[in-house]
Amino acid sequence: MNATWYVIVSFMLIVYVVLDGRNFGVGMLHWLVAKTAAERRQVIEAVRPLLSWDEVWLISFGGTLFAVFPNVLASSFSGYYLALFLILWCLVLRGMAIEVGGHINDRLWQGFWDFVFVVSSFLLAVLFGAAGGNVARGVPIDPQGNFTMAFFTNFGVRGKVGLLDWYTVSVAVAAVVTLAAHGATYLTLKTEGPVHDRSAAYASKLWLALCPLGVILSIETWYVRPGLPAQAMQNPFSWLGIVVIVVSAITLISGLQKKLEYRAFMGSSFLIAGVLGTGGSALFPVMLYSTLDPANSLTAYTSASSPDSLVVALIWWPIAFVLTVGYFIFVSRRYAGKVSVAPENQTSH
Amino acid sequence: MSSIFTDPAFWHRLQFAFTITFHYLFPQFTMGLAWFIVYWKWKALRTGEEKYNEAARFWAKIFGLNFAVGVVTGIPMEFQFGTNWADFSRYAGGVIGQTLAMEGMFSFFLESAFVGALIWGEKRLGPRYHFLTAVAVATGSWLSGYFIIATNGFMQYPVGYEVAANGSLGVASFGAFLLNPWTIIQFCHNQTAALVTGAFVVAALGAFYTLRGVHPKQAKLYLNAGTLVGLIASMITAFPSGDQQAKMVGHHQPVTLAAMEGKFHGGEMAGVAVIGQPNVKEQRLDNAIEVPGALSFLAYGTFESYVHGLDEYPPEDWPDNIELLYYSFHLMITLGTIFILLMAVANFQRFRGRLDTSTWLLWVLALAFPFPYIANTLGWMTTELGRQPWLVYGLFHTKDGYSKLVSNGDTIFTLIGFTGLYFVLGLLFLFLVGREIYHGPDDDGPHDDLGSEPAL
Repeated sequence: MNATWYVIVSFMLIVYVVLDGRNFGVGMLHWLVAKTAAERRQVIEAVRPLLSWDEVWLISFGGTLFAVFPNVLASSFSGYYLALFLILWCLVLRGMAIEVGGHINDRLWQGFWDFVFVVSSFLLAVLFGAAGGNVARGVPIDPQGNFTMAFFTNFGVRGKVGLLDWYTVSVAVAAVVTLAAHGATYLTLKTEGPVHDRSAAYASKLWLALCPLGVILSIETWYVRPGLPAQAMQNPFSWLGIVVIVVSAITLISGLQKKLEYRAFMGSSFLIAGVLGTGGSALFPVMLYSTLDPANSLTAYTSASSPDSLVVALIWWPIAFVLTVGYFIFVSRRYAGKVSVAPENQTSH
Repeated sequence: MSSIFTDPAFWHRLQFAFTITFHYLFPQFTMGLAWFIVYWKWKALRTGEEKYNEAARFWAKIFGLNFAVGVVTGIPMEFQFGTNWADFSRYAGGVIGQTLAMEGMFSFFLESAFVGALIWGEKRLGPRYHFLTAVAVATGSWLSGYFIIATNGFMQYPVGYEVAANGSLGVASFGAFLLNPWTIIQFCHNQTAALVTGAFVVAALGAFYTLRGVHPKQAKLYLNAGTLVGLIASMITAFPSGDQQAKMVGHHQPVTLAAMEGKFHGGEMAGVAVIGQPNVKEQRLDNAIEVPGALSFLAYGTFESYVHGLDEYPPEDWPDNIELLYYSFHLMITLGTIFILLMAVANFQRFRGRLDTSTWLLWVLALAFPFPYIANTLGWMTTELGRQPWLVYGLFHTKDGYSKLVSNGDTIFTLIGFTGLYFVLGLLFLFLVGREIYHGPDDDGPHDDLGSEPAL
């Protein structure tokens, strides 16, 4: 039961990262791929209709974590206090930038909100990346299951660690590049014209840049958490994850080469999902590793709700999920196809 | 030196209160407005008259702006359980996390899938599907309200729970938890109050356009629908839903009712204070003008019924801010009564066919729209202050619930951050809604998605 919930909660987080990650990527590349006002609107229109849908995955992930692993939610959210509020504020600003930017057809107004969109997307990629690094490295959990963290301490990865150290910063860098590549792949699929061509060029370059970064990060992770690879080997899900990574990497490369945009985007999405999934299964059953004493770590078995609560949640969750898949089919059919450059006078609404 | 300012619980409570109050300004309106849009889409479908589509189209834009701010201010709410109320989350997450998760999965996915279609998809979807989209959005918003009130209902009157081995709470009976009688009554009270907000705003804009002499056809629609729904909803908010809510508080939280009414001493023939100021130090109601027996009757059904006083309970079980609780409750009742009277007069004039020429009444209607927001907020203040000193009534104290390792400095910092951010957000919202109102409902037919291919 606890393992099932570990899988479901991880699945929801992965879906969120894949879906909203493309928006972060689009945001970071916004100024680079779109040069004119009309092109900028085109890029925004590629993400606007689905933005709240994507964010609901974060809300639903948070709610489900709350219901089934309340101790993990309590420890991690209060421990990451300031960092988490930075994330929340960036999400507020990013949402506003997308929603209100198009309301007034004015160069300065739209320029300002574009700026907010770019900066908040970049910060979100960095912060989520660093948060991911923290989960992999561990946090200083005390015997009561609590922790509190400075933004940085001595940049070391053992003992009294901070939010940022050389390892979490490298994860953040890798996250920025990955999500930018993912966003570029998405824009290639969703746009036409000059934005499409620039996005395609960025997608190839960024994915290429990720190859050495991925190798470095793997070595770093192996140094920071020496036990992880062995743990991963024992978990069949890790092997499944590795298969997903290999297949989706091939799909991505062939998609990029043959200019099959949908194939490339699927490859990109599943590649990210595969990496996160492999990581998740390597960490299992630990949800939050303690750098002070592994015995303090929060696991899927020690930090779950009562067994009855887990059963109750397993009644409604599948029903809700089936409905969600139904809405998803509606949404994705509705917003299928490419966004073109709108004539200047129709961009305001 | 010890004061509330050095007490971490004070800052955690203030931040949650501030962020939830600001957030709820938007959902209370969208939950009310959603059914107006459904009604107009239905009328358009039945009569084929374009004015109904025009009304739905215009208000869908206003809805969209409110929805957007509601979404972005809603995300921090859920996360604050973990950041600021870690110990409470550990204790009750197994129960209240369920409804918060269900809100996301059952209603937010539904809403976020269809709100865009409601605003942008009129042409593509056709009249029938566009009407169904409006129904889906309205249903989603009310479902979301239900899950939140189920969460609050559990905190007010915990049922269907079990205590696990580690002392935390779990769900023992899903049905009992989800169909908590407290939840059902509070949901009725809250939703009719949301309709009051929606109705007052719709009526106010109708009155405003009539006074300005613009968009006469649309203004009439807004005035008619707004005043009719306003009257019905404000009456139901008072009776039976508000009445039932007060009775429920009397039964399950008698000390709360005593504090709400400033009853320091118990007795039969308990009165309702029309005017009065609670004096907690002296334990009496100053300058009181009371209707004798009214409280006994309202709470327990007969004028002779015994109403408990605060002195029957240990002071540590009293709500910790009796004055604020008392004033919130009484001001809410006063406003609710005024709403009924105002809307009764407006409907009377409407039936005589004189509403759009009664300048004085139109002025009052145009300026009355902020007050339902205030009354809704006061109602929630009554609910939440009345629950003190408990987080989960009778089970878990507020002072035990906050995150012990978060420093006061951190909480004050984030509170200031929210204040600044929400101030800007509020200005931005008013500016954009003001533009839509200035531009008005007469536009050039349905909007459509930019660029995407026909898919449905």
